[in-house]
Amino acid sequence: MDKKSILEDGLLEQYLLGELSNEQEIQIQEVLEGHADLKEVFEGLEEEFERIGFENAITPPESIKKALENALENRGEKSEIKDISGPKTEDRFNYSRLAVAASLAAIFALSSFWFYNRWQTAEDNLEALQQQTIAMQDRLSNLEQTFDVTNRRYQSINNRNVIPLLLKGNSSYPGSRAVAYVNHATQSVMVNSQGLPPLQKDKTYQMWADVDGVMIDMGLLPADTVLIPLKYIARAESLNITIEPAGGNDHPTVENLISNVLL
Amino acid sequence: MAGHPKDIESINQLLQGDKNALYLLYDKYSGALYGVILRMCKDDDLAKDLLQESFIKIWQKISSFDPQKGKFYTWAYRIAKNTTLNALRKSSPLIQTDDLSVYESRNTESEVSDSSNLKGILADLEPQHQMAIDLVYFKGYTHQEAHKEMNVPLGSFKSYVRQALIKLRERRAELSWFVLLIEVIRNG
Repeated sequence: MDKKSILEDGLLEQYLLGELSNEQEIQIQEVLEGHADLKEVFEGLEEEFERIGFENAITPPESIKKALENALENRGEKSEIKDISGPKTEDRFNYSRLAVAASLAAIFALSSFWFYNRWQTAEDNLEALQQQTIAMQDRLSNLEQTFDVTNRRYQSINNRNVIPLLLKGNSSYPGSRAVAYVNHATQSVMVNSQGLPPLQKDKTYQMWADVDGVMIDMGLLPADTVLIPLKYIARAESLNITIEPAGGNDHPTVENLISNVLL
Repeated sequence: MAGHPKDIESINQLLQGDKNALYLLYDKYSGALYGVILRMCKDDDLAKDLLQESFIKIWQKISSFDPQKGKFYTWAYRIAKNTTLNALRKSSPLIQTDDLSVYESRNTESEVSDSSNLKGILADLEPQHQMAIDLVYFKGYTHQEAHKEMNVPLGSFKSYVRQALIKLRERRAELSWFVLLIEVIRNG
């Protein structure tokens, strides 16, 4: 778009009348800024169009001005403040952008804080769960061990090869009870001593097997024990429990015999 | 380019939020703008509303007025013209809204009040020159629409506008000389 085409195509008139697109207007403005003579022509056109306007003016009713005044007054301080800041459009724009940016930053900070808290809570929960899991694993392990022991014990006594033998207390110890489980197939002996009364610290129960009239040591028998394995003695004819000094004895103290049972 | 120093002063006050500055500009320009609006819409009540709306827009948009790009009147004229065209677009289904072409067809022979007949030197021009200015300046037609309305090629229409402006300028020069001559004779 050059000066000549602008003049010949009547673009200045169309520009003045606001008929051109924004792009064309910008082009015209650029050419006008660079050509003082063209600008002078445009100013002449403006003068002429303004004169035409004034020559053809129609006085509006007075009511319009009053309505305008009322409309502006009703808009109140809000409009006034808005328009007072007209020259400071840039500042207002910046403040608006600043406010938007600050709002976004605040939202971001709050959401970050919220997520951080959530993360921390999740971490705590995870840690607690891990500890619980470890505790559960320990308990399970203990239960498995206990079950294993119990099961083995149960299997050791609940077996068709097992012969349960009740050892009742004699007249000196009428209330005492012990149960021996003898398995000749596996050659094992388990004893439940829960029925034996507790002894002084320097005493202990000891079990003996009578083989051909000889008492053979089967082992010490702590009181109040669910099941304790003792030595299996082949060809035993009877089982006997005596009270012996702590640590046991090589030979049974016969006068301290509290119970016996024949096999 | 803004024009009269008083206008510049008023515009500066307007930028500071001074309503009285708007009322001063109203006193000066409302007649010219009302003349344009009323001729475009041909409806007294609508024209009143549109004049008020135009000055409210001037109040609101004054910060976008650049005195380096043109006179205040040119800027205000465009506001009044666009406000009126928008109102007419809303009220008439025959009016296009998708481009700068506003009117598909419009009856330019419709009745107008006496006050809206063209006045001043413009009224003394040849009919084709008068009508060309009337269409683009007071009726809101674009050049593209106006040449069809006059049933002449676009180039011819542009010539009409240009010739009209030249003749207006010549007539004013003649009048100036005539007024000057009378003054000389009086004072003579």
